Amino acid sequence: MTAAVADAGTTGGDVLAALRRQRWWALRVLALPVHILVFALIAFFLVRLIPGDPARVIAGPDATPGTYEAVRQQLGLDGGIWTQLGHFVAGLVRFDLGDSIVNGRPVFDEIMARLPGTVELALVSFVILVLVTLLLSLAVVVAPRSPAGRIVSGYSQAAGAIPDFVIGVIGIFLFYATLQIVPAPNGRTRPGLVEPDPITHFPLLDSILAGRFAVTSSILSHYLLPIVVLVVSLAPLLLKQLLGALGPAAEDRATLFRVATGAPRRMVLASIYRRALPPTIAVFGTIFGTLLGGTVIIEQLFGIGGLGVYAVNSVAGLDFTALQGTLVLVAAISMIVFLLADVATMLLDPRRRPGVQGSGS
Amino acid sequence: MTSTLPPPAAPITAEAPPAPADRRRPGPGFGTWAAAVLLGLVLVVALFGPVIAPHDPTAVVGLPSRPPSGEHWGGTDSTGMDVFSRTLAGTRIDVLIAVFSTILATALGVVVGLAVGMNESRRGPVGTLARAVSRLLDLLQAIPVVIVGLVVVSFFGTNTVTMVLAIAVILMPIQARLTRTEVLRVRGDAYLDAARQAGQHELRLIVKHVLPNSVRPALLNVSVILGISIVLTAALGFLGVGLPPPTPEWGSMIAHGAGDAAVGKWWSAAFPAAALCVTVAASSVLTNRFTLRRTGSG
Repeated sequence: MTAAVADAGTTGGDVLAALRRQRWWALRVLALPVHILVFALIAFFLVRLIPGDPARVIAGPDATPGTYEAVRQQLGLDGGIWTQLGHFVAGLVRFDLGDSIVNGRPVFDEIMARLPGTVELALVSFVILVLVTLLLSLAVVVAPRSPAGRIVSGYSQAAGAIPDFVIGVIGIFLFYATLQIVPAPNGRTRPGLVEPDPITHFPLLDSILAGRFAVTSSILSHYLLPIVVLVVSLAPLLLKQLLGALGPAAEDRATLFRVATGAPRRMVLASIYRRALPPTIAVFGTIFGTLLGGTVIIEQLFGIGGLGVYAVNSVAGLDFTALQGTLVLVAAISMIVFLLADVATMLLDPRRRPGVQGSGS
Repeated sequence: MTSTLPPPAAPITAEAPPAPADRRRPGPGFGTWAAAVLLGLVLVVALFGPVIAPHDPTAVVGLPSRPPSGEHWGGTDSTGMDVFSRTLAGTRIDVLIAVFSTILATALGVVVGLAVGMNESRRGPVGTLARAVSRLLDLLQAIPVVIVGLVVVSFFGTNTVTMVLAIAVILMPIQARLTRTEVLRVRGDAYLDAARQAGQHELRLIVKHVLPNSVRPALLNVSVILGISIVLTAALGFLGVGLPPPTPEWGSMIAHGAGDAAVGKWWSAAFPAAALCVTVAASSVLTNRFTLRRTGSG
């Protein structure tokens, strides 16, 4: 009651206080563009260090100095590196990543036509990955000494031992070549099936929006094996982290208190997971980057045209602008997910917010 | 880890403390020995692989796509090169790149971690720079190494030496973060103040006192880095940006064999894949063993 009265009195001071209370996440969000810019600068200089001169390649070996200069100018490689940097940063704030050196098309549009497919595959895999990890960890928490619990613990120890592309090749051999239960690993849909016009550029979403469910089911059947491969190869990493956090949480005093007061099983489990989730969600944030990288490899293996094929082709074609654009966009996405995970962690556990003096438990 | 759920009155506190002591048997188990032997075998093959290979690993020595036989233990790939010989020869390349890039990444990472950790709370431009680098190291972990690897490898070019440099640069931040965390823990310790008051130079102090007390996590992490490094080398080879084609390298062999596997010819991908997995798994088992010991004793 008195607080409400005080509110009405000092609105100005109160807004400031409210702002200060939200500072923990607002500062992070404000810093994000700065971080992306810093990374863009690193990408810019990194890409400029690549040996090889695209102007020389395009102009041909016996070009006169005049034609060579003309090609350089046409490619936007004229002037000092600082002039180029100026153009790059000025373009960046307008979401203009420059034109491709190889085919002259705007890099941002080229990437935006491919990125959604990659991100869609990564997101669907991510959701399934998180669900599978949570379910598997339940087996260990409920009965650590049972056969199922032991198998899951053992599986979590395999973190990183079998790379995704090996699991992919095994999957193709088993489920396509031998058992013939998944479609051929050469594309997103059955050959001859026309994909609907892009609306959102997310292939799966587009096919649903356009009501072309034959395409949807074809995409789903082509996605099945890639998703399984990504989930199987990445689940141990998450599982290891989650089990590591669940162990101490299950023996935490707060959990023991719940057990001692006779709380129902459900409540005890909720209490354990509530305590183990913050450090795990922080790892979810970094795993998404790994997943995006894995998706690039898996796309290459399953012939799904996306960002991976584009990046590999730009390396081969010495396409400076395409490479730095890809790097900047992938970094931006990874950093946004990292930030979301960070904020989610701090929401769940206020002690992790900056400036908060945690008193332990 | 004990199940706290079934009987609400279960005396967990009585059970919990002995559990970790029980579970860690004192001596190294069978798994550890097997892993050590396998890793030793991999190192021997890395040293002598090309010598013991029955065929020339970079030459066409038979009909293409033959299944494993007495003549070609691993069959031949779709160009007619001997898969088994190539897998043996590839061990040298993959393990060499992994070992050297791990050493380099750890050395660089420890130096960066020390520099950042010691200067982070300073005022002035040095402190600001250190804080910026520290934040950057945090952010770098969110960015997929494979995509950074694609760009960095194309920057360094593709031969064994430059691959080592590229992978070391990519993996350095992991070691730097570990070291930095330890330096922050150690930095306030009293023996450092004592050494400072005894008139020791700051650099000497860092090398003699901070380094030995903060390098342990990075050293324990070496086999993790080794595993990541092998997988990354192979992944880049798989994407086709690693060493050029006739070079026997596991990743590019697997990529090459993936097409064969899709038509049921499993062998040309299976041998390099198995070699890759055995190497990574063996080093990962040894890591788990050592890290568990450490947490068990401390």
